[in-house]
Amino acid sequence: MAVAVPQADHGTGSLEASVGEVETYQYNDGITRMFVIATVAWGVIAMTVGLTVAILMVLPKLFYELGPLGELLTFGRLRPLHTNATIFAFAGNAIFAAIYYSTQRLCKCRMWSDTLGLLHFWGWQLIIVAAAVTLPLGITQSKEYAELEWPIDIAIAVVWVGFFGVNFLMTLVTRRERHMYVALWFYIATVVTVALLHVFNNLVVPVGWFKSYSIYAGVQDAFMQWWYGHNAVAFFLTTPFLGLMYYFLPKAAERPVFSYKLSILHFWSLVFIYIWAGPHHLHYTALPEWASTMGMLFSLMLWMPSWGGMINGLLTLRGAWHKVATDPVLKFFVVGITFYGMATFEGPLLSIKSINALSHYTDWTIAHVHSGALGWNGMMTFGMIYWLLPRLFQTKLWSVRMATWHFWVGTVGILVYIIPIYAAGLTQGLMWREMDETGRLVYPDFLETVQTIIPHWTIRIFGGALFLSGVVMLAINTLMTWMSRPAVYENPTYSAPRLLPYNGPEPAGKPSPLEGKPVLEFGKKVDQFARMDWHRSWERLPVKFTVLTLGAVVVASLFEMIPTFLIRSNVPTIASVKPYTPLELAGRDIYVSEGCYNCHSQMIRPIVAETKRYGDYSKPGESVYDRPFQWGSRRIGPDLAREGGRQSSFWHWVHFEDPEQVSPKSVMPIYEHLLVNELDFKQITDRVRAAHFLGAPYDRELEEAPEMARRQAEEIAAEIVSQGGPVKYGDTLVMNTQAVALIAYLQRLGVDLNRPVTPEPVAEPDAAPAGEDVEVEVGGG
Amino acid sequence: MTTDSRPTDPNEPPLVGHSFDGIQEYDNPLPGWWKWLFVGTIVFSLLYWPFFHSGAPGRSIEERFSIAQAENMRLQFAEIGELKPNEETLVRMMNDPGWVKVGESIYRGNCASCHGIDGGGVVGPNLADDHYKNVRDISDILRIVQVGAAAGAMPAWQNRLQLNEQILVSSFVASLRGTTPASPKPAEGNVIPPWPSMIEFETEAEAEAAEAEMDPLLTTEAEPVTATQIEDVPASDGS
Repeated sequence: MAVAVPQADHGTGSLEASVGEVETYQYNDGITRMFVIATVAWGVIAMTVGLTVAILMVLPKLFYELGPLGELLTFGRLRPLHTNATIFAFAGNAIFAAIYYSTQRLCKCRMWSDTLGLLHFWGWQLIIVAAAVTLPLGITQSKEYAELEWPIDIAIAVVWVGFFGVNFLMTLVTRRERHMYVALWFYIATVVTVALLHVFNNLVVPVGWFKSYSIYAGVQDAFMQWWYGHNAVAFFLTTPFLGLMYYFLPKAAERPVFSYKLSILHFWSLVFIYIWAGPHHLHYTALPEWASTMGMLFSLMLWMPSWGGMINGLLTLRGAWHKVATDPVLKFFVVGITFYGMATFEGPLLSIKSINALSHYTDWTIAHVHSGALGWNGMMTFGMIYWLLPRLFQTKLWSVRMATWHFWVGTVGILVYIIPIYAAGLTQGLMWREMDETGRLVYPDFLETVQTIIPHWTIRIFGGALFLSGVVMLAINTLMTWMSRPAVYENPTYSAPRLLPYNGPEPAGKPSPLEGKPVLEFGKKVDQFARMDWHRSWERLPVKFTVLTLGAVVVASLFEMIPTFLIRSNVPTIASVKPYTPLELAGRDIYVSEGCYNCHSQMIRPIVAETKRYGDYSKPGESVYDRPFQWGSRRIGPDLAREGGRQSSFWHWVHFEDPEQVSPKSVMPIYEHLLVNELDFKQITDRVRAAHFLGAPYDRELEEAPEMARRQAEEIAAEIVSQGGPVKYGDTLVMNTQAVALIAYLQRLGVDLNRPVTPEPVAEPDAAPAGEDVEVEVGGG
Repeated sequence: MTTDSRPTDPNEPPLVGHSFDGIQEYDNPLPGWWKWLFVGTIVFSLLYWPFFHSGAPGRSIEERFSIAQAENMRLQFAEIGELKPNEETLVRMMNDPGWVKVGESIYRGNCASCHGIDGGGVVGPNLADDHYKNVRDISDILRIVQVGAAAGAMPAWQNRLQLNEQILVSSFVASLRGTTPASPKPAEGNVIPPWPSMIEFETEAEAEAAEAEMDPLLTTEAEPVTATQIEDVPASDGS
């Protein structure tokens, strides 16, 4: 390690002196080429899936005619595929392309290992393919942007840390440039923090290869998920793209970066503050209020650290604005950074509790993430690729004109996407809370609020299509540029002296203007500190820098996590809340697998308009057996936290068969396959045991789960029949269907709160007799 | 790689003096507005926290919710107070167009998915015809709303709706009788006699009000029990 040996020689210029013999090296641009091509290819795919789910929202029965294939292609299953593909396939490969290209040049050395680079590339692509296969099959953990099941999670950890992380950090260690440029700081933060987030949010107990239960439950699971989810935005979609900006923008503009001091301050404040902000995704939920306040305040404090990046980006263009007019690369960067500024202003705004009360669960969030993802990540990626294409393929860009067209089509596409969706979000939020002068809901029928915004959803499709067509132009330009590449790539050899270990003080820069002036010694010290030479010395110590960055995120995380996990009073337990019955547990797994959480929340907030619509607000103790939690983040359909007993079992049956039979103009897909597919009763035992292992107090369920489940299924089937339903659906007995398990789960939702705790004979004359039967009766609706 | 050797404009701010792959950095100070807004957000946070988390009453989310909910209850029901769950109330509310609309709002949020938006019946029975499955008189509607029917096909609403809401939605359901839905479900159950008219209750109420005026000390407990089991009518209610 470069930092290991302290040097006795502290004389001036010792830093320059401690270099060794001149070495020659070549860059590995092959790996960058691969990542660039992967970025473009996955970009087209991810956005095509996005366009598909946008169409499905307007035409929910589009794929129903496809039969067995149709059940794989519902909104609930495809939406996670769209988000994962966009984040991890499109943005992910773009990050890797940026890092592999710029790190080598900023370090004046080749990537440490070509083999690790290849393993990283192919490992990552395989993970994406695995995601594309498993998500439509309903194999999911149901935690947003962490949906992939545990075997894939392990692969991600190995590829990220073992292949990518090691390769990157070893490149820093073996570099020939004494100091690390700000882009590298952001890459370091990305590498260590993503690893941390990924590992701790995905700790699960496996139940076979394709299913697992989170080790966290309810409130704690929600907390961990949004600690992860928010910081996936921070450290996957922000820090690496800031690093990308710091390298490619000054390169393309050929201008110095606006302010070195600002880089330092906004880097450290961003890294330290971002990690606290996750709970702003859980305002007004059952999360303890102090955590929610913490999330809000740190989000507000994050505003300026984020804007530090924007300022350093936009002001770097001072003196280069004339180039923006002609260079599509700079056009993309300008719009990208502008969207970054907008999104990072809107983020703190949405984190303010009273604003969040309006925006949460609505399309406002969707508009916000798309201004970030399409505007910031998309435009920055495109700018970078157009800058890289001629350099990587050592020829002219096939068509600058087409790149300019891509820019305009993409920019207009974003606006056509986000403007109607902002309007939709506001409309939804306002309709949900609208009460008349007598204090009753003006729009008690949820469907009415959905129908109102369908025109917005329709316009959005065109915005998405425009943006996608821009990406197709990029793909064509990439392909054509690649076709005109030389037969053999030139690979120039560079030379630089080897760095020798040096651990002395940073040589003084320019003399202080206070030198010899009548200023207090303290003043001189402050001036010395403000000149940031101390940071300059960190910049040549990659290991120390990495440890400090890790420290910043770990300390901030622990401050929130330790209270959330240790103080039991944060999660009051409710005596009447009991674990799910075996059948309900199986039904819950179907709910997770179908991705119901993508459209239905299970979290009623303590807001009058909301309790009027859905019932008593959700208490922390109600989700203590929920692994993973299913609070959701979006209401395309109504909240289901108190769905139990709200509809008859037969109603649910008919609703799955075709929602429009009972809810005309519903946008819910048809779930007829649940009426046809048989439930695997045998596998329930394993799931009950896993839940028991995690603390659910099961007893005879451990041995008799399938029998108990069958009995409850028979009761529900009998109910359905008595309510006018069939005994058999096609060739399947109703009692054997998956739908019955899902109905059992739905009928259980939210009913425990009002269940009498102990069998008191005086409780209520109408109540069911005390004892075990209560559970079954209540569970059965 | 080559270092940037462009001539520096004398008007330009000083460079830090290093170059990475040709990228240089200016030694510009932090923009003042940036610095002070950052400090401002920190100061705001330091003030916000103790304001909401020092335990002062009425500032937590739960407490503010309770206040808002009580306010909403006043707004909704101040005029009618706590309704008595009896036949007279049901009939009276059924005949009050303003309160029927309130009942309709509750109906649309909770009942329309099974009984149809206009009461024509979907999975649940038609509520607009003269046939009823579990209802023999108007107070049965309220009872069914409260405890449910048909083995859970009709859910119990007593834990979900407030008593006033239960009564108002029952009155609205009663008011549906005799309307013509767009696509009515075939009749189920038995034909039952029409709902009692308001007139008989009005005479009762007038008598009672007159009595109350004559002797304000006389409580309604002394009231003779009628066949319809009227309990009392709030004195404030001018009906």
